[in-house]
Order: sequence, then structure tokens, then C-alpha cells
Amino acid sequence: MTRDALVSVRGLRVRYPDRRGWRRGRARSIFAVNDVSFEIGRGDTLALVGESGCGKTSTARALLRIIEPEAGEIRFGGVDVRVLRGTLLRRHRQRTQIVFQDPFTSLNPRMTIAEIIAEGITVHDLAKGAERERRVKRLLDEVGLASVDASSFPHELSGGQRQRVAIARALAVDPEMLVLDEAVSALDVTTQAMILDLFTQLRTQRRLTTLFIAHNLAVVQRVATHVAVMYAGRVVEQAPAATLFSSAKHPYTRALIAAVPAPDPRLKRQRVVLTDDISTIALPQTGCPFFARCQHAKKDAACSSAVPPLAEVGADHVAACVKEAR
Amino acid sequence: MTALLEVRHLSVTYPGDRRAVNDISFDIDAGETVALVGESGCGKSTTAYAVMQLLGPDARVDRNSRAVFDGDNLLTHSREAMCRIRGRRIAMIFQEPAAALNPSMRVGDQVAEVAEVHGERSHRRAFEKAVTMLERVGIRDAGRRAYAFPHELSGGMRQRVVIAMALLLQPALVIADEPTSALDVTVQAQILALIDELRRDAGTAVLFITHDLAVVAESCSRAIVMQGGSIVEQATTERLFAAPKHRHSADLLRAVPRLEVAP
Repeated sequence: MTRDALVSVRGLRVRYPDRRGWRRGRARSIFAVNDVSFEIGRGDTLALVGESGCGKTSTARALLRIIEPEAGEIRFGGVDVRVLRGTLLRRHRQRTQIVFQDPFTSLNPRMTIAEIIAEGITVHDLAKGAERERRVKRLLDEVGLASVDASSFPHELSGGQRQRVAIARALAVDPEMLVLDEAVSALDVTTQAMILDLFTQLRTQRRLTTLFIAHNLAVVQRVATHVAVMYAGRVVEQAPAATLFSSAKHPYTRALIAAVPAPDPRLKRQRVVLTDDISTIALPQTGCPFFARCQHAKKDAACSSAVPPLAEVGADHVAACVKEAR
Repeated sequence: MTALLEVRHLSVTYPGDRRAVNDISFDIDAGETVALVGESGCGKSTTAYAVMQLLGPDARVDRNSRAVFDGDNLLTHSREAMCRIRGRRIAMIFQEPAAALNPSMRVGDQVAEVAEVHGERSHRRAFEKAVTMLERVGIRDAGRRAYAFPHELSGGMRQRVVIAMALLLQPALVIADEPTSALDVTVQAQILALIDELRRDAGTAVLFITHDLAVVAESCSRAIVMQGGSIVEQATTERLFAAPKHRHSADLLRAVPRLEVAP
């Protein structure tokens, strides 16, 4: 698909034991990620979009080897990530870094921000002493925290400042790829806008490849070059960002777009409000996972007989809907 | 016509002379939806908590402050008098439904408890009332779900339970503190539609506390913009969005992520 892919994922599956019922963990289990494939070109930003529980975070975690997938192939810069051990695994952890959603819980409250940022530099043995201090200082400048005292603790900072510390910590080891897991959804809209601007600027300066996880498409539109929409563990539509926002094909993608509130009181859009949420409906054993919530008036036999495969619906644009496939 | 809630010269100070709210005044009419908008720390939640007498012991509400509701100043009410108002005349919906619910109590019992606290002697009747309310807020199979614990429900379902608790006794005013910020956009759309529908049915006034102007555009007829503890602008939603008068309102408007979809 892409020319120079830094990340290539094929047939990824992640499974968790089902904790409900008396035979917990034995008989049943849940596929959080089911047969997911995608590529991220060097310097691109792929947004993984979907509701809570759709498998986007599990996908990212498998990529970073925070969790072990059950099946599939993950390549990073041509290297098979799943077999990495020891020094090579540590090297992978340096090349890929993550920023989490909640800056209140992802920073150690007992460490100063200088210590938090320096930790990765020390662990990966990138610099020592005065040189390390200089690096920390440079990183604080880079994320717009030049005026903040490096010896302060996370609780002394605002939410936006804390998220900047988390970004500086991720950048401290000079990664090639950054995963932003809902990194702005817990922030105020004004702070959110500033963090997105900072991210856009850093991405260009450092030529970063990014996996951007979010559920709000308005945020995704500001930063993503490509978008993959996930539903119930599967990718249901994937396209370059401009294509996806101008001609979304999958009914789920359209519903996600319709759900974004418009900041305009005159515009009462006709909202395709998705009823229910994914956790409360039983997924069909066979057929399209989106069947129960689908807006298509006439669902036909093809919808309930097999899981629709991702099929080409346009240039560089795939969707998993039998109604849209050509 | 007198307003349902009349807030006059409300000021709240924290130790060290930190002013969280600085001499603010506003009205809410019966059946109206008003937004209190601003960034974290601007004093919007403190304002609501002060009106409900829910501030911590360090907070000091200025003696000249008034919040007149049903003809009485809420700020000088005794604890007991306040308990009779909370949940019955004025109810709250909190941001984080997981934190607002008791994790060791079945959701039906929690909703029923609101009726019991306000005089319902029969638990069975209160529980039946709770189940009816859970159904009305869109929880399907409510008779069975009422026996679930909060952790067995999704975030959107939990927020529906919190809304059921707030609306059970048909209060005149509901204060909704960032009711959708912790939820997915799809669930957010459902919850906003639900609050609006229930408001129209029961004639409840709603005070939305939010930082998200998209939510304001969707749900409110009027907005009060706060910055640094003060009100910087009050206008109808239409006017605020068409021509914000204060710079801070304009900044907030600009920050809202917009989705550009080709026609």
C-alpha cells in the first residue's frame, strides 16, 4: 500500500480471558483485536478511531510489546517485533514511545519533572551528568515549559503542563515513533488546541511517525494523514484522512462523523445517533459485527451470513461493508 | 416573572486569599437551559457547589452573597434544610459516573434511595419507581439491570443511572457538571439528547457546567462565560456564537475542534 512503511501489521489478534461466569478464563475468551492489518508510512500520522472497547488501545499496546498478541505479524522498520528479546527489545522500546490519556496518573507523583524526563535517558544510557541535564533543559524548552522549574513535582503543574511533561519524557530517548493514546481527550478544549499545535510542530521538526488514538473525529481531522476506523476489534474502514472525511463509506464511520457535536447553534444537524453502546449488545456469532446498530434500512442475507471483508471502495480506500463494495 | 434561581454577588475565597469566584450574579428561569462555560479553574464548578452548599470546609462564601431559590437564600440554609432541597428540588449530575455511584450497591437501590431519603417509606415502591425511571432514561430491560452493580455497566449506562437519580423526583433545577466529558462522542450525543428530552417533558431547568462550546451549541439557549472567577460575558447562545463580545469567549470558540465535512 504505502511506499516506505515504518510499521506494518498483518492479521493481528489479541485475546483476553473472559472474566464473567463460573468458568472464568477457561471456556470463553474475547478477541479484543481480530485480524487487524495496517501500515504506517514514515512520517505519517495514522489515527485509530472508534468507541471505548473497540480494540484501538490493545492494538497500540501489542505494537509496543506492552501486551503479547496471540497471532499476527508486526514489523517495525523491517524488524519482526514479536520475537524481540533482551537488548533488541530494549532498543525497540527506545524507538517507540507512548503518551497516555491521563497526565494525572501517568506521571510518578514522587519524582520531579527533571527526574521523570531524565529517567529514559539514563535507562537507555544516552547521556550522563551535565550533558543529561542539558538534554532535559532542551526538552523542556522544546515542549514549551522553559519557564517551569524543573525541580517541581507533577501536582504543582496544570493538566496541560503535565501532558507537556509526558511528551518531553517520550521524546527524551529520540524515538522514531510516538503513540498518542487519547492524549488530549482529558484536557480542556483550549489546552487541547495548544497541545495539538505543539504535537504538529514536533512531528515536523523531528520527522516523527505517529499512531494517534482518539474517539473524537474533529480532533483526528486536525492531525491525521491517514485514518483507520475500528469496530468490535476489527478495522471497518481505512483511507487517507481527506478521503475519509469527504466520502466515508462504512455506516459506522458515518455515524461517528455525525456524532461530533457542531459548534454552531444554528446548525441542528440531522444526527445519526447511534443507539446503545457496544458493550451492551451481544455481537452476532456470524455476520457483520455492526449488524445490530446498522442504519441501512434493508439489511440482507449477506450481512448476517459472513463477516464482510475489507474491500476496495476507492483509491487507497477500503471498507468492510457489503452494501458499499463494488 | 421572578427567576427560578437568582444568584447575586457570589464570592468564594480559599485560604491564602485565593478568590475562586469573584462577585458574580446571574439568573436561571424555570425550564431554561443555561451553560456556565470556562476553562478548568475558572470557578464554574465552585459556583455550582457553593449554591448547593457542597464546598469543602476551607472554602469561605462571602457574607453578602445570595442565591435565592423558591424565595429563600440557599446560602444561609441549615444543613437539614439543604438536605430537603438537594435531590428533590435541585439535583446534580456529575462528570464521572463511576465516582458518583456507590460501587457496592445495586444501581436500582441507589436510585430508589433518593426517594427513600425524601420520605418514601416503602422500599418496594421506591424500587419500582426507580425501575420505571431507569427505563425512561433508556436502560433496556431495566427490571433486570436494576440488580446490576455499577462496574457491570458501561460508562454511558452508568451516566444514565446518575441521570435517573437526578430526575427521579422531578426537581425544578438540575445542575449538570461536565456530564459528557468522560464519555465517547457517540454516547455523548445520546446523553445530550436524553437530557434535552427529559427536560422538555418535565419542564426542568438545566445548568450545564462545561468547557466544551460544542455542547453549549447543541443544548443551551443561553451561556455565561467565566474567566478567573468572574463572568466576562452573558448572552444567548446564538449571539455568543455569532458575535462574541469578550476576547476570552472568542478564544474559547476558536479552540473548539470543528469537523469539516464536504457536502
